[in-house]
Amino acid sequence: MSTPLQVYEPFKAGLPKLGRYWKSLWSRRTFIKEYSKSELREQHFDSVFGQLWLVINPLLLSAVYFILIIIIGGATDSARYAHLTSSLFLFYLMANSLTGGVKSITAGQRLILNTAFPRIMLPISAVVIAIFKFLPTLLVFMVIKAIVGSPFTIEMLWAIPVLLITIFLALGLAITISCINVYFRDIASFLPYLTRTLLYLSPILYEASDLKPNLRVIEIINPLFPILDSWSRAMVQGEAPELSSMLQGLAWATVIFFVGTYFFLSREREFAVRL
Amino acid sequence: MSSLSASNKHITNELAVSIRGVGLTYTTSIDKKPTFKSRAKSLGRGKKQTRVVRALDDIDLDIKYGQVLGVIGTNGAGKSSLMRCVAGILPPSQGRIEVFGSVSTLLALGVGFNPSMSGRDNVFLGGLAAGMSREEIAGNFDEIAEFSELGDAIDAPMRTYSSGMYARLAFSVAAVVRPDILIIDEALSTGDAKFKEKSLNRVKELRSDDRALILVSHAMLTLRETCNDVAWLHKGKLVQRGEPNEVIDAYQKFLHLGKSAASDEDV
Repeated sequence: MSTPLQVYEPFKAGLPKLGRYWKSLWSRRTFIKEYSKSELREQHFDSVFGQLWLVINPLLLSAVYFILIIIIGGATDSARYAHLTSSLFLFYLMANSLTGGVKSITAGQRLILNTAFPRIMLPISAVVIAIFKFLPTLLVFMVIKAIVGSPFTIEMLWAIPVLLITIFLALGLAITISCINVYFRDIASFLPYLTRTLLYLSPILYEASDLKPNLRVIEIINPLFPILDSWSRAMVQGEAPELSSMLQGLAWATVIFFVGTYFFLSREREFAVRL
Repeated sequence: MSSLSASNKHITNELAVSIRGVGLTYTTSIDKKPTFKSRAKSLGRGKKQTRVVRALDDIDLDIKYGQVLGVIGTNGAGKSSLMRCVAGILPPSQGRIEVFGSVSTLLALGVGFNPSMSGRDNVFLGGLAAGMSREEIAGNFDEIAEFSELGDAIDAPMRTYSSGMYARLAFSVAAVVRPDILIIDEALSTGDAKFKEKSLNRVKELRSDDRALILVSHAMLTLRETCNDVAWLHKGKLVQRGEPNEVIDAYQKFLHLGKSAASDEDV
Protein backbone atom coordinates (compact mmCIF):
# COMPACT_ATOMS: atom_id res chain seq x y z
CA MET A 1 0.00 0.00 0.00
CA SER A 2 1.34 3.41 -0.87
CA THR A 3 1.66 6.17 1.64
CA PRO A 4 -1.27 8.56 1.84
CA LEU A 5 -0.96 11.84 -0.01
CA GLN A 6 -2.92 13.64 2.64
CA VAL A 7 -3.88 12.84 6.17
CA TYR A 8 -6.57 14.79 7.96
CA GLU A 9 -6.63 14.53 11.71
CA PRO A 10 -8.21 16.49 14.50
CA PHE A 11 -6.45 19.60 15.59
CA LYS A 12 -6.39 21.55 18.75
CA ALA A 13 -5.52 25.22 18.54
CA GLY A 14 -2.04 25.40 17.15
CA LEU A 15 -0.12 25.86 13.97
CA PRO A 16 -0.31 23.55 10.99
CA LYS A 17 2.96 22.07 9.74
CA LEU A 18 4.66 25.20 8.50
CA GLY A 19 6.92 23.65 5.88
CA ARG A 20 4.02 21.93 4.19
CA TYR A 21 1.86 25.04 4.50
CA TRP A 22 4.51 27.18 2.89
CA LYS A 23 4.97 24.68 0.05
CA SER A 24 1.26 24.64 -0.55
CA LEU A 25 1.15 28.44 -0.49
CA TRP A 26 4.15 28.81 -2.78
CA SER A 27 2.71 26.42 -5.35
CA ARG A 28 -0.35 28.66 -5.53
CA ARG A 29 1.47 31.95 -5.99
CA THR A 30 -0.08 32.32 -9.45
CA PHE A 31 -3.46 32.47 -7.74
CA ILE A 32 -2.39 35.60 -5.89
CA LYS A 33 -1.17 37.16 -9.12
CA GLU A 34 -4.24 36.23 -11.14
CA TYR A 35 -6.64 37.17 -8.37
CA SER A 36 -5.14 40.63 -8.05
CA LYS A 37 -5.21 41.05 -11.81
CA SER A 38 -8.85 40.00 -12.10
CA GLU A 39 -9.82 42.18 -9.17
CA LEU A 40 -8.13 45.23 -10.70
CA ARG A 41 -9.67 44.45 -14.07
CA GLU A 42 -13.06 44.18 -12.44
CA GLN A 43 -12.55 47.62 -10.89
CA HIS A 44 -11.68 48.81 -14.43
CA PHE A 45 -8.08 49.65 -13.65
CA ASP A 46 -7.01 48.10 -16.92
CA SER A 47 -8.68 50.87 -18.93
CA VAL A 48 -7.18 54.29 -19.65
CA PHE A 49 -9.69 56.17 -17.52
CA GLY A 50 -9.43 53.60 -14.76
CA GLN A 51 -5.69 54.18 -14.52
CA LEU A 52 -6.18 57.89 -14.81
CA TRP A 53 -8.53 57.65 -11.86
CA LEU A 54 -5.78 55.95 -9.85
CA VAL A 55 -3.75 59.11 -10.38
CA ILE A 56 -6.52 61.70 -10.11
CA ASN A 57 -8.01 60.24 -6.95
CA PRO A 58 -4.91 60.69 -4.73
CA LEU A 59 -4.27 64.10 -6.30
CA LEU A 60 -7.77 65.25 -5.37
CA LEU A 61 -7.34 63.81 -1.91
CA SER A 62 -4.07 65.64 -1.37
CA ALA A 63 -5.66 68.85 -2.70
CA VAL A 64 -8.52 68.54 -0.20
CA TYR A 65 -6.17 67.94 2.70
CA PHE A 66 -3.95 70.80 1.57
CA ILE A 67 -6.96 73.12 1.80
CA LEU A 68 -7.50 71.81 5.30
CA ILE A 69 -3.89 72.57 6.23
CA ILE A 70 -4.25 76.13 4.88
CA ILE A 71 -7.42 76.68 6.92
CA ILE A 72 -6.06 75.33 10.20
CA GLY A 73 -2.96 77.45 9.61
CA GLY A 74 -0.13 75.03 9.03
CA ALA A 75 2.85 75.69 6.82
CA THR A 76 1.67 75.99 3.24
CA ASP A 77 4.88 76.04 1.24
CA SER A 78 5.60 73.69 -1.62
CA ALA A 79 7.76 71.42 0.55
CA ARG A 80 4.77 70.84 2.79
CA TYR A 81 2.67 69.89 -0.21
CA ALA A 82 5.34 67.37 -1.27
CA HIS A 83 5.38 65.97 2.26
CA LEU A 84 1.59 65.72 2.29
CA THR A 85 1.34 63.88 -1.03
CA SER A 86 4.17 61.41 -0.40
CA SER A 87 2.90 60.53 3.08
CA LEU A 88 -0.72 60.36 2.01
CA PHE A 89 0.08 58.00 -0.86
CA LEU A 90 2.00 55.64 1.42
CA PHE A 91 -0.74 55.85 4.01
CA TYR A 92 -3.27 54.77 1.40
CA LEU A 93 -1.18 51.70 0.66
CA MET A 94 -1.83 50.65 4.25
CA ALA A 95 -5.44 51.84 4.34
CA ASN A 96 -6.23 49.97 1.11
CA SER A 97 -4.61 46.82 2.51
CA LEU A 98 -6.85 47.10 5.54
CA THR A 99 -10.08 47.77 3.65
CA GLY A 100 -9.26 45.07 1.11
CA GLY A 101 -8.11 42.63 3.76
CA VAL A 102 -10.99 42.98 6.17
CA LYS A 103 -13.53 41.28 3.92
CA SER A 104 -11.13 39.01 2.06
CA ILE A 105 -12.08 35.91 4.06
CA THR A 106 -15.81 36.56 4.35
CA ALA A 107 -16.05 37.45 0.65
CA GLY A 108 -14.17 34.30 -0.31
CA GLN A 109 -16.83 32.17 1.34
CA ARG A 110 -17.73 30.14 -1.73
CA LEU A 111 -14.13 29.28 -2.41
CA ILE A 112 -13.40 28.43 1.22
CA LEU A 113 -16.41 26.12 1.49
CA ASN A 114 -15.49 24.26 -1.66
CA THR A 115 -11.74 24.12 -1.97
CA ALA A 116 -8.90 23.24 0.35
CA PHE A 117 -6.17 25.87 0.03
CA PRO A 118 -4.10 28.03 2.38
CA ARG A 119 -6.62 30.68 3.41
CA ILE A 120 -3.86 33.20 3.99
CA MET A 121 -3.72 33.68 0.20
CA LEU A 122 -6.81 35.87 0.40
CA PRO A 123 -5.47 38.66 2.68
CA ILE A 124 -2.11 38.46 0.87
CA SER A 125 -3.94 39.11 -2.40
CA ALA A 126 -5.61 42.15 -0.83
CA VAL A 127 -2.18 43.61 -0.06
CA VAL A 128 -0.92 42.86 -3.57
CA ILE A 129 -3.92 44.74 -4.98
CA ALA A 130 -3.12 47.69 -2.69
CA ILE A 131 0.48 47.67 -3.95
CA PHE A 132 -0.69 47.76 -7.56
CA LYS A 133 -2.85 50.75 -6.74
CA PHE A 134 0.08 52.41 -4.97
CA LEU A 135 2.63 52.16 -7.80
CA PRO A 136 1.13 54.79 -10.15
CA THR A 137 0.87 57.26 -7.26
CA LEU A 138 4.61 56.87 -6.71
CA LEU A 139 5.11 58.14 -10.24
CA VAL A 140 2.76 61.06 -9.59
CA PHE A 141 4.78 61.96 -6.53
CA MET A 142 8.03 62.01 -8.52
CA VAL A 143 6.45 64.50 -10.93
CA ILE A 144 5.25 66.68 -8.03
CA LYS A 145 8.70 66.49 -6.47
CA ALA A 146 10.32 67.64 -9.69
CA ILE A 147 7.85 70.52 -10.05
CA VAL A 148 8.30 71.86 -6.50
CA GLY A 149 12.06 71.51 -6.97
CA SER A 150 12.84 69.33 -4.01
CA PRO A 151 16.25 67.65 -4.31
CA PHE A 152 16.79 64.21 -5.84
CA THR A 153 19.59 62.59 -3.86
CA ILE A 154 21.20 59.21 -3.45
CA GLU A 155 19.75 59.08 0.08
CA MET A 156 16.32 58.74 -1.47
CA LEU A 157 17.17 55.06 -1.90
CA TRP A 158 16.44 54.73 1.82
CA ALA A 159 12.82 54.82 0.74
CA ILE A 160 13.18 51.26 -0.55
CA PRO A 161 13.72 49.58 2.86
CA VAL A 162 11.05 51.87 4.29
CA LEU A 163 8.62 50.69 1.62
CA LEU A 164 9.48 47.07 2.35
CA ILE A 165 8.77 47.62 6.05
CA THR A 166 5.48 49.25 5.08
CA ILE A 167 4.46 46.25 2.97
CA PHE A 168 5.45 43.91 5.79
CA LEU A 169 3.28 45.90 8.19
CA ALA A 170 0.42 46.07 5.67
CA LEU A 171 0.54 42.27 5.34
CA GLY A 172 0.41 41.87 9.10
CA LEU A 173 -2.51 44.28 9.38
CA ALA A 174 -4.49 42.66 6.54
CA ILE A 175 -3.97 39.13 7.88
CA THR A 176 -4.95 40.16 11.41
CA ILE A 177 -8.04 42.11 10.47
CA SER A 178 -9.32 39.48 7.99
CA CYS A 179 -9.17 36.92 10.80
CA ILE A 180 -10.88 39.20 13.33
CA ASN A 181 -13.66 39.91 10.83
CA VAL A 182 -14.62 36.21 10.74
CA TYR A 183 -15.48 36.37 14.44
CA PHE A 184 -16.68 39.97 14.68
CA ARG A 185 -18.37 40.98 11.45
CA ASP A 186 -18.95 44.56 12.55
CA ILE A 187 -15.21 45.28 12.42
CA ALA A 188 -15.73 46.07 8.74
CA SER A 189 -18.13 48.92 9.56
CA PHE A 190 -15.84 50.15 12.31
CA LEU A 191 -12.81 50.19 10.03
CA PRO A 192 -13.36 53.61 8.36
CA TYR A 193 -13.15 55.24 11.81
CA LEU A 194 -10.01 53.32 12.60
CA THR A 195 -8.24 54.34 9.39
CA ARG A 196 -9.39 57.94 9.81
CA THR A 197 -7.98 57.98 13.35
CA LEU A 198 -4.70 56.48 12.13
CA LEU A 199 -4.54 59.18 9.45
CA TYR A 200 -4.75 61.94 12.04
CA LEU A 201 -2.34 60.21 14.41
CA SER A 202 0.28 59.95 11.68
CA PRO A 203 2.63 62.68 10.48
CA ILE A 204 0.78 63.37 7.24
CA LEU A 205 -1.14 66.63 7.70
CA TYR A 206 1.70 67.78 9.94
CA GLU A 207 5.37 66.91 10.20
CA ALA A 208 6.75 64.67 12.90
CA SER A 209 8.79 67.54 14.32
CA ASP A 210 5.63 69.71 14.68
CA LEU A 211 4.24 67.42 17.33
CA LYS A 212 3.72 69.08 20.74
CA PRO A 213 5.89 67.49 23.45
CA ASN A 214 2.84 66.40 25.45
CA LEU A 215 1.58 64.46 22.43
CA ARG A 216 4.84 62.58 21.89
CA VAL A 217 3.16 59.42 23.11
CA ILE A 218 1.53 59.14 19.66
CA GLU A 219 4.96 58.45 18.21
CA ILE A 220 5.22 55.36 20.37
CA ILE A 221 1.71 53.94 20.14
CA ASN A 222 1.10 54.46 16.42
CA PRO A 223 2.88 51.79 14.35
CA LEU A 224 2.60 53.95 11.25
CA PHE A 225 4.29 56.97 12.80
CA PRO A 226 7.98 56.01 12.53
CA ILE A 227 7.47 54.55 9.05
CA LEU A 228 5.74 57.62 7.62
CA ASP A 229 8.34 59.89 9.22
CA SER A 230 11.21 57.89 7.68
CA TRP A 231 9.43 57.83 4.32
CA SER A 232 9.00 61.61 4.25
CA ARG A 233 12.63 62.19 5.24
CA ALA A 234 13.90 59.97 2.46
CA MET A 235 11.44 60.91 -0.26
CA VAL A 236 10.86 64.63 0.37
CA GLN A 237 13.95 65.89 2.13
CA GLY A 238 16.22 63.41 0.40
CA GLU A 239 18.13 62.55 3.55
CA ALA A 240 18.76 59.34 5.42
CA PRO A 241 16.01 58.57 7.95
CA GLU A 242 16.90 57.95 11.57
CA LEU A 243 17.89 54.37 12.13
CA SER A 244 15.91 54.25 15.37
CA SER A 245 12.68 55.19 13.54
CA MET A 246 13.21 52.49 10.98
CA LEU A 247 13.96 49.90 13.63
CA GLN A 248 10.90 50.96 15.59
CA GLY A 249 8.76 50.57 12.45
CA LEU A 250 10.31 47.19 11.73
CA ALA A 251 9.67 46.06 15.30
CA TRP A 252 6.00 47.04 15.05
CA ALA A 253 5.65 45.31 11.69
CA THR A 254 7.32 42.13 12.96
CA VAL A 255 5.16 41.92 16.07
CA ILE A 256 1.90 42.57 14.20
CA PHE A 257 2.82 40.20 11.37
CA PHE A 258 3.77 37.27 13.59
CA VAL A 259 0.98 37.67 16.13
CA GLY A 260 -1.61 38.10 13.35
CA THR A 261 -0.26 35.21 11.32
CA TYR A 262 -0.17 32.96 14.37
CA PHE A 263 -3.84 33.65 15.07
CA PHE A 264 -4.75 33.27 11.44
CA LEU A 265 -2.96 29.96 10.94
CA SER A 266 -4.24 28.43 14.15
CA ARG A 267 -7.80 29.51 13.33
CA GLU A 268 -8.04 29.12 9.59
CA ARG A 269 -9.11 25.46 9.63
CA GLU A 270 -12.19 26.59 11.48
CA PHE A 271 -13.16 29.30 9.00
CA ALA A 272 -15.27 26.94 6.89
CA VAL A 273 -17.76 26.42 9.72
CA ARG A 274 -17.66 30.04 10.83
CA LEU A 275 -18.73 31.51 7.52
CA MET B 1 -3.75 20.53 0.12
CA SER B 2 -1.81 18.80 -2.57
CA SER B 3 -2.03 19.69 -6.18
CA LEU B 4 -4.67 18.25 -8.43
CA SER B 5 -2.06 17.56 -11.00
CA ALA B 6 -0.40 14.89 -8.88
CA SER B 7 -2.17 12.29 -10.94
CA ASN B 8 -0.52 8.94 -11.07
CA LYS B 9 -1.88 5.57 -12.09
CA HIS B 10 -3.87 3.69 -9.52
CA ILE B 11 -4.75 0.07 -9.46
CA THR B 12 -8.29 -1.17 -9.02
CA ASN B 13 -9.17 -2.12 -5.46
CA GLU B 14 -6.29 -0.09 -4.17
CA LEU B 15 -7.39 2.09 -1.30
CA ALA B 16 -8.40 5.62 -2.33
CA VAL B 17 -9.80 7.04 0.88
CA SER B 18 -9.67 5.54 4.31
CA ILE B 19 -11.99 7.01 6.93
CA ARG B 20 -11.39 5.69 10.44
CA GLY B 21 -13.58 6.56 13.38
CA VAL B 22 -14.21 10.04 12.11
CA GLY B 23 -16.35 12.34 14.17
CA LEU B 24 -17.08 15.97 13.53
CA THR B 25 -18.48 18.38 16.03
CA TYR B 26 -18.61 22.02 15.35
CA THR B 27 -19.68 25.09 17.12
CA THR B 28 -21.81 27.45 15.17
CA SER B 29 -22.86 30.81 16.41
CA ILE B 30 -26.54 31.25 17.12
CA ASP B 31 -26.59 34.72 15.63
CA LYS B 32 -26.63 34.81 11.92
CA LYS B 33 -23.61 37.04 11.93
CA PRO B 34 -21.24 37.06 14.87
CA THR B 35 -20.58 40.66 15.77
CA PHE B 36 -18.74 42.49 18.47
CA LYS B 37 -21.99 44.26 19.30
CA SER B 38 -23.91 41.06 19.99
CA ARG B 39 -20.99 39.69 21.99
CA ALA B 40 -20.82 42.82 24.09
CA LYS B 41 -24.59 42.89 24.61
CA SER B 42 -24.72 39.41 26.01
CA LEU B 43 -21.59 39.85 28.11
CA GLY B 44 -22.10 38.84 31.71
CA ARG B 45 -25.58 37.50 31.10
CA GLY B 46 -24.31 34.00 30.76
CA LYS B 47 -26.16 33.65 27.49
CA LYS B 48 -24.79 30.96 25.25
CA GLN B 49 -23.37 32.33 22.05
CA THR B 50 -22.84 29.09 20.25
CA ARG B 51 -24.52 25.81 19.57
CA VAL B 52 -22.62 22.57 19.28
CA VAL B 53 -23.56 20.49 16.27
CA ARG B 54 -22.58 16.85 16.11
CA ALA B 55 -22.39 16.36 12.37
CA LEU B 56 -20.53 13.05 12.15
CA ASP B 57 -20.24 10.29 14.69
CA ASP B 58 -17.65 7.54 14.46
CA ILE B 59 -17.74 6.89 10.74
CA ASP B 60 -15.67 4.08 9.26
CA LEU B 61 -15.57 3.95 5.50
CA ASP B 62 -13.09 2.73 2.92
CA ILE B 63 -13.29 3.80 -0.67
CA LYS B 64 -11.30 1.90 -3.24
CA TYR B 65 -10.26 2.81 -6.75
CA GLY B 66 -12.74 1.59 -9.31
CA GLN B 67 -15.60 2.17 -6.92
CA VAL B 68 -18.50 4.49 -7.55
CA LEU B 69 -19.87 5.21 -4.13
CA GLY B 70 -23.29 6.74 -3.72
CA VAL B 71 -23.94 8.54 -0.46
CA ILE B 72 -27.56 8.83 0.61
CA GLY B 73 -29.40 10.11 3.62
CA THR B 74 -31.97 12.65 4.71
CA ASN B 75 -31.17 16.35 4.93
CA GLY B 76 -28.77 16.99 7.76
CA ALA B 77 -27.49 13.44 7.80
CA GLY B 78 -23.91 14.65 7.51
CA LYS B 79 -23.31 13.82 3.86
CA SER B 80 -21.85 17.18 2.90
CA SER B 81 -19.84 17.38 6.13
CA LEU B 82 -18.27 14.01 5.35
CA MET B 83 -17.42 15.13 1.83
CA ARG B 84 -15.85 18.32 3.15
CA CYS B 85 -13.75 16.25 5.53
CA VAL B 86 -12.52 14.01 2.72
CA ALA B 87 -11.70 17.08 0.63
CA GLY B 88 -9.69 18.56 3.49
CA ILE B 89 -11.92 21.59 3.86
CA LEU B 90 -13.05 20.69 7.37
CA PRO B 91 -10.67 18.93 9.73
CA PRO B 92 -12.35 16.09 11.64
CA SER B 93 -12.75 16.38 15.41
CA GLN B 94 -11.95 12.71 15.97
CA GLY B 95 -10.49 9.93 13.93
CA ARG B 96 -8.31 9.97 10.89
CA ILE B 97 -8.79 10.35 7.17
CA GLU B 98 -6.17 9.20 4.71
CA VAL B 99 -6.44 10.17 1.09
CA PHE B 100 -4.36 8.36 -1.53
CA GLY B 101 -4.75 10.59 -4.56
CA SER B 102 -5.81 13.97 -5.79
CA VAL B 103 -9.31 15.08 -4.87
CA SER B 104 -11.55 17.39 -6.84
CA THR B 105 -14.70 18.52 -5.18
CA LEU B 106 -17.92 19.63 -6.64
CA LEU B 107 -19.81 20.44 -3.53
CA ALA B 108 -23.27 21.89 -3.43
CA LEU B 109 -22.16 25.48 -3.75
CA GLY B 110 -20.16 25.06 -6.92
CA VAL B 111 -17.38 27.21 -8.28
CA GLY B 112 -17.33 30.93 -8.64
CA PHE B 113 -16.55 32.82 -5.52
CA ASN B 114 -16.61 36.29 -6.94
CA PRO B 115 -19.91 36.94 -8.69
CA SER B 116 -18.77 40.20 -10.23
CA MET B 117 -16.00 38.46 -12.14
CA SER B 118 -16.58 36.59 -15.38
CA GLY B 119 -17.10 32.86 -15.57
CA ARG B 120 -13.68 32.58 -17.20
CA ASP B 121 -11.92 34.39 -14.34
CA ASN B 122 -13.75 32.30 -11.78
CA VAL B 123 -12.78 29.05 -13.45
CA PHE B 124 -9.14 30.10 -13.52
CA LEU B 125 -9.15 31.33 -9.93
CA GLY B 126 -10.96 28.26 -8.65
CA GLY B 127 -8.50 26.01 -10.45
CA LEU B 128 -5.47 27.93 -9.22
CA ALA B 129 -6.77 27.85 -5.66
CA ALA B 130 -7.21 24.10 -5.98
CA GLY B 131 -3.54 23.87 -6.90
CA MET B 132 -3.62 23.52 -10.66
CA SER B 133 -1.19 25.43 -12.83
CA ARG B 134 -2.29 28.16 -15.20
CA GLU B 135 -1.24 26.05 -18.17
CA GLU B 136 -3.26 23.08 -17.01
CA ILE B 137 -6.39 25.17 -16.69
CA ALA B 138 -5.79 26.89 -20.01
CA GLY B 139 -5.35 23.47 -21.60
CA ASN B 140 -8.69 22.32 -20.24
CA PHE B 141 -10.55 25.58 -20.57
CA ASP B 142 -11.96 25.12 -24.04
CA GLU B 143 -13.34 21.75 -23.10
CA ILE B 144 -14.88 23.20 -19.93
CA ALA B 145 -16.49 26.07 -21.84
CA GLU B 146 -17.79 23.74 -24.50
CA PHE B 147 -19.15 21.21 -22.05
CA SER B 148 -20.94 23.88 -20.05
CA GLU B 149 -22.68 25.16 -23.23
CA LEU B 150 -22.45 28.68 -21.88
CA GLY B 151 -21.26 30.20 -25.15
CA ASP B 152 -20.41 33.88 -24.92
CA ALA B 153 -21.80 34.02 -21.39
CA ILE B 154 -18.51 32.58 -20.16
CA ASP B 155 -17.08 36.11 -20.32
CA ALA B 156 -20.06 37.73 -18.61
CA PRO B 157 -19.98 38.41 -14.85
CA MET B 158 -21.26 35.43 -12.91
CA ARG B 159 -23.88 37.52 -11.15
CA THR B 160 -25.72 37.58 -14.47
CA TYR B 161 -25.90 33.76 -14.53
CA SER B 162 -29.01 31.79 -13.80
CA SER B 163 -28.71 29.08 -11.16
CA GLY B 164 -28.74 26.49 -13.92
CA MET B 165 -25.84 28.16 -15.73
CA TYR B 166 -23.97 28.33 -12.44
CA ALA B 167 -24.40 24.64 -11.81
CA ARG B 168 -23.52 23.74 -15.39
CA LEU B 169 -20.23 25.57 -15.18
CA ALA B 170 -19.44 24.02 -11.81
CA PHE B 171 -20.12 20.54 -13.08
CA SER B 172 -18.07 21.12 -16.23
CA VAL B 173 -15.03 22.17 -14.22
CA ALA B 174 -15.13 19.12 -12.00
CA ALA B 175 -15.85 16.72 -14.82
CA VAL B 176 -13.14 17.96 -17.16
CA VAL B 177 -10.33 18.15 -14.60
CA ARG B 178 -10.15 14.35 -14.24
CA PRO B 179 -8.90 13.94 -10.69
CA ASP B 180 -8.13 10.60 -9.04
CA ILE B 181 -11.02 11.05 -6.66
CA LEU B 182 -14.04 13.06 -7.74
CA ILE B 183 -16.69 14.14 -5.27
CA ILE B 184 -19.98 15.33 -6.70
CA ASP B 185 -22.34 16.71 -4.11
CA GLU B 186 -25.92 17.11 -5.30
CA ALA B 187 -24.85 18.66 -8.55
CA LEU B 188 -26.20 16.05 -10.89
CA SER B 189 -29.78 17.09 -10.49
CA THR B 190 -29.25 20.64 -11.68
CA GLY B 191 -29.71 21.98 -15.14
CA ASP B 192 -32.35 21.05 -17.66
CA ALA B 193 -33.20 17.54 -18.79
CA LYS B 194 -30.70 17.69 -21.62
CA PHE B 195 -27.79 18.77 -19.48
CA LYS B 196 -28.79 16.31 -16.79
CA GLU B 197 -28.50 13.48 -19.24
CA LYS B 198 -25.23 14.83 -20.55
CA SER B 199 -23.73 15.08 -17.08
CA LEU B 200 -24.96 11.62 -16.19
CA ASN B 201 -23.27 10.25 -19.28
CA ARG B 202 -20.15 12.08 -18.28
CA VAL B 203 -20.17 10.46 -14.86
CA LYS B 204 -20.55 7.07 -16.53
CA GLU B 205 -17.58 7.91 -18.74
CA LEU B 206 -15.54 8.93 -15.72
CA ARG B 207 -16.14 5.56 -14.11
CA SER B 208 -12.87 3.85 -14.59
CA ASP B 209 -10.67 1.41 -12.78
CA ASP B 210 -8.15 3.98 -11.70
CA ARG B 211 -10.59 6.51 -10.35
CA ALA B 212 -12.90 6.71 -7.36
CA LEU B 213 -16.19 8.56 -7.65
CA ILE B 214 -18.31 9.69 -4.75
CA LEU B 215 -21.81 10.85 -5.62
CA VAL B 216 -24.03 12.52 -3.07
CA SER B 217 -27.55 12.57 -4.39
CA HIS B 218 -31.22 12.27 -3.63
CA ALA B 219 -31.86 10.90 -7.10
CA MET B 220 -32.18 7.22 -6.27
CA LEU B 221 -32.67 6.07 -9.84
CA THR B 222 -29.41 7.70 -10.87
CA LEU B 223 -27.60 6.06 -8.00
CA ARG B 224 -29.08 2.65 -8.80
CA GLU B 225 -27.87 3.04 -12.35
CA THR B 226 -24.38 4.43 -11.80
CA CYS B 227 -23.08 3.22 -8.45
CA ASN B 228 -21.57 -0.09 -7.51
CA ASP B 229 -21.65 0.72 -3.82
CA VAL B 230 -23.90 2.84 -1.62
CA ALA B 231 -23.47 4.20 1.89
CA TRP B 232 -26.45 5.41 3.91
CA LEU B 233 -25.87 8.04 6.55
CA HIS B 234 -28.37 9.02 9.19
CA LYS B 235 -27.83 11.70 11.84
CA GLY B 236 -24.07 11.51 11.48
CA LYS B 237 -23.87 7.73 11.67
CA LEU B 238 -23.24 5.16 8.99
CA VAL B 239 -26.38 3.00 8.90
CA GLN B 240 -25.72 0.61 6.08
CA ARG B 241 -23.30 0.09 3.30
CA GLY B 242 -23.26 -2.33 0.45
CA GLU B 243 -24.94 -3.31 -2.79
CA PRO B 244 -26.83 -0.29 -4.20
CA ASN B 245 -30.29 -1.82 -4.66
CA GLU B 246 -30.22 -3.38 -1.23
CA VAL B 247 -29.20 -0.22 0.62
CA ILE B 248 -31.48 2.06 -1.37
CA ASP B 249 -34.44 -0.27 -0.80
CA ALA B 250 -33.75 -0.25 2.92
CA TYR B 251 -33.41 3.52 2.90
CA GLN B 252 -36.67 3.98 1.04
CA LYS B 253 -38.41 1.58 3.36
CA PHE B 254 -37.06 3.61 6.24
CA LEU B 255 -38.53 6.72 4.72
CA HIS B 256 -41.89 4.90 4.51
CA LEU B 257 -41.95 5.78 0.90
CA GLY B 258 -41.82 2.40 -0.69
CA LYS B 259 -40.68 2.35 -4.24
CA SER B 260 -42.84 5.25 -5.31
CA ALA B 261 -42.25 7.21 -8.46
CA ALA B 262 -41.51 10.38 -6.51
CA SER B 263 -38.51 8.95 -4.69
CA ASP B 264 -36.98 7.33 -7.73
CA GLU B 265 -37.19 10.31 -9.98
CA ASP B 266 -34.33 12.72 -10.42
CA VAL B 267 -35.64 15.68 -8.54
